Amino acid sequence: MNQLSESAATASGHKVCRYDGRKILLDQEGFLVDPSAWSEGVAVEMAREQGLEGLDEAHWVIIRFLRDYYFAHGKAPLSRDLKNGTGFSLLEIERLFPGGLKEGARRLAGLPNPRGCM
Amino acid sequence: MRKIGLHVNGIWRELVVGEDTVLLEVLREDLRLTGAKQSCDRKGQCGACTVILNGQAVRSCLRKAADLDGAEVITIEGLGTPDNPHLLQEAFVLAGAVQCGFCTPGMIMTAKALLDRNPTPSEAEIKKALSRNLCRCTGYRKIIGAVQLAGRFLRGESSPDQLRPNLTQGVLGVSMPRPTAYARACGTAQFTADLPSRGELHLAVVRSPHHHARIKGIDAGPAMTMPGVVGVMTAKDIRGTNRIKYLVPDQPVLCDRTVQVLGDPVALVVARSRSEALAGADAVQVSYEPLAAVRTPAEALAENAPSVHEGQPNLCSTQLQIKGDALAALEGAAALVEAEFSTQLIHQAPLEPEACVAFLEGEGEEARLIVIGRGINIHHHVMVLQGALGCEDLRYEEAFSGGQFGIKLDITSEALTGAAALHFGRPVRYLPTLTESMWMTTKRHPLSCRLRLGADHKGLLTGLEVDFTLENGAYTSWGNAIVLRILQMLSGCYHIPHVKAVGQLVYTNNAWGGAARGAGPPQMNFALESAMELLARKIGADPLEFRLANSLKPGQAISTGQVVDEWPFPGCLEALRPHYRRALSEAAAFKEGNRRRGVGIAGGSFGIGKAGPADKSTVAVELNPDGGITAYGSIADPGEGNDAMLTQLAAHATGIPVEKIRLVTRDTDRTPDASSASGSRATYMSGGAMLLAIEALQKAMGEIGAVTFEAAAYQQLVDAGKPVKYLGTKIQQTTPLDPQTGQGIPYESRVHGVQMAEVEVDLESGDLKILKMTAVVDPGTVINPLIVEGQIEGGLDMGAGMALREEYVHGETRDWVTYKFPTIRNSFESEIILLQTPRRKGPVGAVGVGEFVLLPTAAAIMNALENATGTRVYHLPATPNKVLAALAGAPGKA
Repeated sequence: MNQLSESAATASGHKVCRYDGRKILLDQEGFLVDPSAWSEGVAVEMAREQGLEGLDEAHWVIIRFLRDYYFAHGKAPLSRDLKNGTGFSLLEIERLFPGGLKEGARRLAGLPNPRGCM
Repeated sequence: MRKIGLHVNGIWRELVVGEDTVLLEVLREDLRLTGAKQSCDRKGQCGACTVILNGQAVRSCLRKAADLDGAEVITIEGLGTPDNPHLLQEAFVLAGAVQCGFCTPGMIMTAKALLDRNPTPSEAEIKKALSRNLCRCTGYRKIIGAVQLAGRFLRGESSPDQLRPNLTQGVLGVSMPRPTAYARACGTAQFTADLPSRGELHLAVVRSPHHHARIKGIDAGPAMTMPGVVGVMTAKDIRGTNRIKYLVPDQPVLCDRTVQVLGDPVALVVARSRSEALAGADAVQVSYEPLAAVRTPAEALAENAPSVHEGQPNLCSTQLQIKGDALAALEGAAALVEAEFSTQLIHQAPLEPEACVAFLEGEGEEARLIVIGRGINIHHHVMVLQGALGCEDLRYEEAFSGGQFGIKLDITSEALTGAAALHFGRPVRYLPTLTESMWMTTKRHPLSCRLRLGADHKGLLTGLEVDFTLENGAYTSWGNAIVLRILQMLSGCYHIPHVKAVGQLVYTNNAWGGAARGAGPPQMNFALESAMELLARKIGADPLEFRLANSLKPGQAISTGQVVDEWPFPGCLEALRPHYRRALSEAAAFKEGNRRRGVGIAGGSFGIGKAGPADKSTVAVELNPDGGITAYGSIADPGEGNDAMLTQLAAHATGIPVEKIRLVTRDTDRTPDASSASGSRATYMSGGAMLLAIEALQKAMGEIGAVTFEAAAYQQLVDAGKPVKYLGTKIQQTTPLDPQTGQGIPYESRVHGVQMAEVEVDLESGDLKILKMTAVVDPGTVINPLIVEGQIEGGLDMGAGMALREEYVHGETRDWVTYKFPTIRNSFESEIILLQTPRRKGPVGAVGVGEFVLLPTAAAIMNALENATGTRVYHLPATPNKVLAALAGAPGKA
C-alpha cells in the first residue's frame, strides 16, 4: 500500500480492504489502485464478495488473459483482443462474471478502474 | 464558374473555380496543398493561410480565385521539405519558433515576403509585417528571433550548420531541434483537417439558440429534402449512454430533453458536402420551451433559483481545507489584509478548430470505429466514447495538434463525429467553425474569492482564510478536480501555519470550465500573490524580502499538511534580487507625469501530475534490429516538445544516437496508456516511465551478457528467446485530500519560480504597457533549454492576456478579434533565468514547466500597476477602463 493512511483513504472515498491476508487499497468503485498488489487469493476473496463461491478454469483463463495483456501492453484489451485471446464470446464473459466484463472480470483481475482522473 | 490558370510553386495549374471560391480552398481542396491552415472562419484574422501572391504576402482565405488568373502563388510547400528545408524553415526550427506548428507556415510565408523586400528588418518592422499572423504558443519572441536569424542566413552572415547543436558530448541540456519540427515548419505535418479521405460525409450540428430550454420537438423532415443531405440524427439514435462522463455524467452527446447552454447540440446532419450539411442543419426545425436561466453563481445560488440540471442542486460541491486554527491566528495577527478578487472566463484559444474524422474499419462484427482528433488522453477518451456511443471496439488516433492548453483533456467534436460514423456506417468529417469550436469546448473557470492573510510583528505569515467560488458553467467536465487543485496548491510558495478554506463549485447556464493551462491555481495564485504584496506594503516590508522570509522550507508543511523535502523557491528569489533592484532603480525616474512606471513580482509553486493516489504512466521500450529503440506510449505533443524530451532522455539513458530513437505516441492500438499530457506531467511521469522501461530492457540484456544497446544485443535477446520489448510504469506516491479537512499528500514534486513585471501606465488612457517580464524558473534539470524557454515565453504572453485583455463572453465572443487574441504587437521583451535544482524523483532530476508559468504573471503585473500608481485592479482583466476606475478611487489621485 502507498502512503495513503487508512483514515485518509476512507475519508476520500477510497477503501482499504484486507484480502489474502494483506491490506489492499481500492478506489471508490472497488478497483485496485495498484494492479501489482493483486494475487490469486485477492481475486478469490473479491469474487466471493460478488457472490461467486469459486473461480473455475473459465474464470481463470479470462483473468489471466486480462492480466497478461495488461502487463504486456500497459492497457486493458479491447473486446476483440479478449475474444481472440480467450476463445470466449463477450456474452459468455458477461455471464461468467457478476458485473460483467468491466465491473466484474476487470475488477477481479486487479486492473485499474477504466475511469480516469485529471 | 470560371476557368483560371495559376503558377503554384512554379507549376502551371489550370482549374475551374466558383465565383466565390477563395484561394485557400483551391490550395487545400483542389491541389491538396494543406500547409496553409484555416482557423478564423475565413475572416482574415489569423494569418495561418498566408501565401505569397505575386510577391506579396496575402491571406489566401480573402482572395477570390476567380480574380487570380495568371497569378504566381508560392505556398509553404514551395519553399522546402523536411529533408531539404529553406533557410527560413531552418531559422524557425533552430530558433525554437515552432511549437504546435499550426501558425508556422503562415508565419514563414509572411516572413519570406518581408525579407524578400527588406533583408535587414528592424524588430519594429518585423512586428508590423507579422501583425496579422496569430500564434498562441510562443509569445512571439522566438518568432521575432527566427526572422532575424533567417535574415542572417539569407545575408550569408551565418549558416544553419553553425548553429546545429553538438550532440557528441551528451544530449542533456542541449537545444536540439524537436524531431517533428521540420515537418511542422514545412507544412507536411498533417493536422486533422488535412487528412485526405474518399467518400466521406460532412457533418453539421443543429445547436440551441437558448441558454436554457426544454426541447419540445425536432422535425428533421425539411432537412431530409435538402440537396445532398444523407441523414439526420437525434439523441434517440445514439446507441450508448449518450452521456460524456469524466467525473459526473451530466453532458449529453446530443441533448435529449433539455438544453443547458447556448450552443448545446440538439441534432446533427450529414451530407455530401460541408455546405450541404450546413444548409441541412439550418432546415432542421426544433421547437423549444425557453426556461429561466441562471447566468452567474449568485443567481444560481439564490433562493428558488431554477436548476441548471433538472432535479439537481446548482451547488455541485463544497470542499474544505483546514490546517491548524486560521481564525484564531488571524485574530491575533499584527497585520492583516482582507480583499476580494475575481478572475474571468478565459478561452484557452488554440488556433486549430475542433476538427474530427471518424470512420469504420472492417465490416460486420469486426467493424471498428476509428476516431481521429487531437485528444491529450487518448486511452481515456476511448473509454469515455465506448460508454457514450455504445461501441466497444474503438481506436483513437491523434493527428498533429494545433495547440490545446488543456482544452483537449475533454472530448469535443469526437463524440458527435463518432456517433455519426457509427449510425450512418460511412466516413464522417466534422470541420466546425471557430465560433462553434468555442461553443463546444471548456474554458478557464471564473473564480471569485474573499481572502484574509495575516502576519505577526516579525513579518511572518500566521494565517490564511479563503472562501472561493468556482463557476462550473453548464457541465462539470473536471470541475470538482479543479476545486481540489486550488486547495492542493493553495498556500503557494509559502509557509502559512494556519489555513482555512471553503471552495464551492456552482452550475450556471454558461460556457463550462475545464482544464486550462494550470487549471485553478493560476486564478487563486493571482489572489494570494496580490495579497502578499498588500501585506508587504502594509507592514512596510520589501516585497521580495517579505516573500523570501516567508518561503516554505524543507520540513515544513503546505496547506494540505504535506511536509515537503525539497523546496527550491528561495533560490529563485535570490536569483531575481539584482534584477529587481535594477528595475526599481530604473522605474524610480518615472514616478511623475502622465506615464508612470512600476515593478511587481509574484511567485509560484506548481505540483506536477495528477494529484491523488493513482497518477500512473506506462511506457514500453523496444530494442530494434538495428540497435535503435522505439518508445511506445500515449504521450501527446500538442506543442510542448515532448518528442524532444523523450528522444533526449532515451538517448541519454542508452547512449543510442538520437537518429535511432523512434517514438510511437499517437495511437491507442500501438501504445500503452501513459495517460494525459496535462498537469505538466509528461516529462516527470512518462519520461520517468520510459526510463524504467529502459532499465527493464537493460536488465534483460544484462542477463544474457549484452552490455550496450546495439544490433548484436537485439540478436542475443532473440536467440535467447527473450522479449525485446519491456514496460515501465511510474506511479506517484501521493494521496487524495481528506474531504473533511483537505489534508493529504497531493504531489511528489513541484516546479517553482518568480516573475517580475516592469510596466508603464498611462494615467490618462488607463493603458498598461508591459515593458519587460523577467522569469526565474527552477524546473530541475533542463533537458532542452530552448524548448523550456519557449514554454515560459508562451506562458508569459498567455498570463499577460489573462491580466489585461482576454475575456470570453458566451454568445458574444465569436472569433479571434472579439476575443482580443494577443498579437505580436502586444508582445514584450522577456528575460528567462533557468535554475536547475535536480528533483529527487524526477527523471534525470527534471520536472515539467508549461503550466506553472501562468501562476505568477497576472499578480506580478497587478503588483507592478500598484507600484506605478498606488492603486490596483482586483477583478481581472485589468482593461484600461478598470485601470482608470481604480485610479479615480486611488488615494492621493484626483
